[in-house]
Amino acid sequence: MPELQKLYDAVLNGDQKTAVAVTQEALAAGVSPMELITNYMVPAMDKVGSLFECEEYFVPELLLSARAMKGSLELLRPLLAASGAEPAGRVVIGTVKGDLHDIGKNLVASMLEGAGFEVTDLGADVPAEKFIAAIEEKKANVVALSALLTVTMPAMRTTIEALKQAGVREKVKVMVGGAPVTQQFAEEIGADGYSDNASAAVGLARKLVA
Amino acid sequence: MTGKERILARIEGRAPDCLPLMPITMMFAGDLAGIEYRGYASDHRMLAEAQLRVAERFGFDYVSAISDPAREASDLGAAVEWFDNQPPAINESRALIHDKGVLSGLAPPDPSVPGRMKDRVEGVRLLAERAGKDLVVEGWVEGPCAMAADLRGLNTLMLDFSDDGPFVEALFDYAVRMEIEFARAQVEAGATLMGVGDAAASLVGPRLYNQYVLPYEKRLIAEIRGMGVPVRLHICGNTRRIVKGMGETGSEIIDLDFLTPLAEARAAMRPEQVLLGNIDPVRALRDGTPESIEAALAECHAQAGEAYIVGAGCEVPRGTPIENMEAMARFARTRR
Repeated sequence: MPELQKLYDAVLNGDQKTAVAVTQEALAAGVSPMELITNYMVPAMDKVGSLFECEEYFVPELLLSARAMKGSLELLRPLLAASGAEPAGRVVIGTVKGDLHDIGKNLVASMLEGAGFEVTDLGADVPAEKFIAAIEEKKANVVALSALLTVTMPAMRTTIEALKQAGVREKVKVMVGGAPVTQQFAEEIGADGYSDNASAAVGLARKLVA
Repeated sequence: MTGKERILARIEGRAPDCLPLMPITMMFAGDLAGIEYRGYASDHRMLAEAQLRVAERFGFDYVSAISDPAREASDLGAAVEWFDNQPPAINESRALIHDKGVLSGLAPPDPSVPGRMKDRVEGVRLLAERAGKDLVVEGWVEGPCAMAADLRGLNTLMLDFSDDGPFVEALFDYAVRMEIEFARAQVEAGATLMGVGDAAASLVGPRLYNQYVLPYEKRLIAEIRGMGVPVRLHICGNTRRIVKGMGETGSEIIDLDFLTPLAEARAAMRPEQVLLGNIDPVRALRDGTPESIEAALAECHAQAGEAYIVGAGCEVPRGTPIENMEAMARFARTRR
């Protein structure tokens, strides 16, 4: 039986090679994918998030942990799909139209994935139509919109308007974030939630789908 | 005092007649002059016109050639997306140095040949001709971490620190060599101050900042100061954990974003280090009132102490009410 605590440590320390190796060993030994995720990977990413929030970890460390987590998840995903296990929620995420900045969005996507959400990352400069199509296709219950520029913040409003026009707004909770975005702006444009950092975004998403 | 005398007095530790005023304006300046940002970023004559107008309208003590971070990357052939009325942006998904091997064959761009770097040099020249007697003329270059991110892709660079330290050092070395020559061209064209923008540096934390970024920022800043002009170091974002290092770069002006309290910066630096900033550009400046802006700036001044220059934490946002900018200007003109 492999030492599963090593999976926790590998994700926490951003060691992708070890994370993948331990995952392989665990699967071979008959450990269930959900046990690996629930008992080791999610707690590890939670810890990463709290270290990030208290400025012990920074973006490089968070991205390394996310990479280790993803390496392991790649092995688990097909098994999860086959078993019919339900994710914590289904999130469609992207940086809005006209904005090419994606690192904040990537951090949020990784943290959500690490918290057991199924995340569809549409990338940067994403038009509203792509969000709508992905919501339908992935049966998402959360949409996460990111913007780094004050000039692209209005695209958050137009995206939400487009969701309404397409008749999908009621199917999803919309969360927004990005350096210039404020709680007040989130309320003005009719978003369901706002977070000012990647770790808190996980708590918000959990609340929105509860 | 002229604006130039005021800023130089502050930098040289003499008493200016009132607080110097140096907020970063780009889209705000373009809008004020009725110039679409595509033109502002691509034609130095439009940039100069807008800078002169905004400086005159609010009594700024300087004009600046800053426009966007993509000038050097553009001249190197990176994928850059243009928009009608917002800054051009580098497309990270098609990063120029997506393959590390590209770096060794990459010749530094020449700011004297036609391109976006030369356009900035000409912008500096025009600003110096038209306003250099009375105002400080600020050139602008990317810092090592920002420039490396522009070429390699920010997400990839963040992983490179752990995966391949020697490559990061080679990339930073390349960036610094390029920016030294870009700064030199701007100084020769009449820049009397050089801005160094190193936004990505706020993401890496103190360990990586001190190991990788700080030595290259120091080298770049020392070279620019050796050209006879002072330096303004601006790092966007939360710099609380690296602010001590920023104070060791040798930069005459440390320009901080709003997430770093000036009291923390002051405590981490020598008392005569000039601090610039740093009210929240969106929440305090754009969305505030003249009264709240005055109060926020008074707090900044109190925290920074005497060696202080008035500004926002980052670029003055588009849509900032005129009366709010007037409040900032009034604050500077009525305080010492």
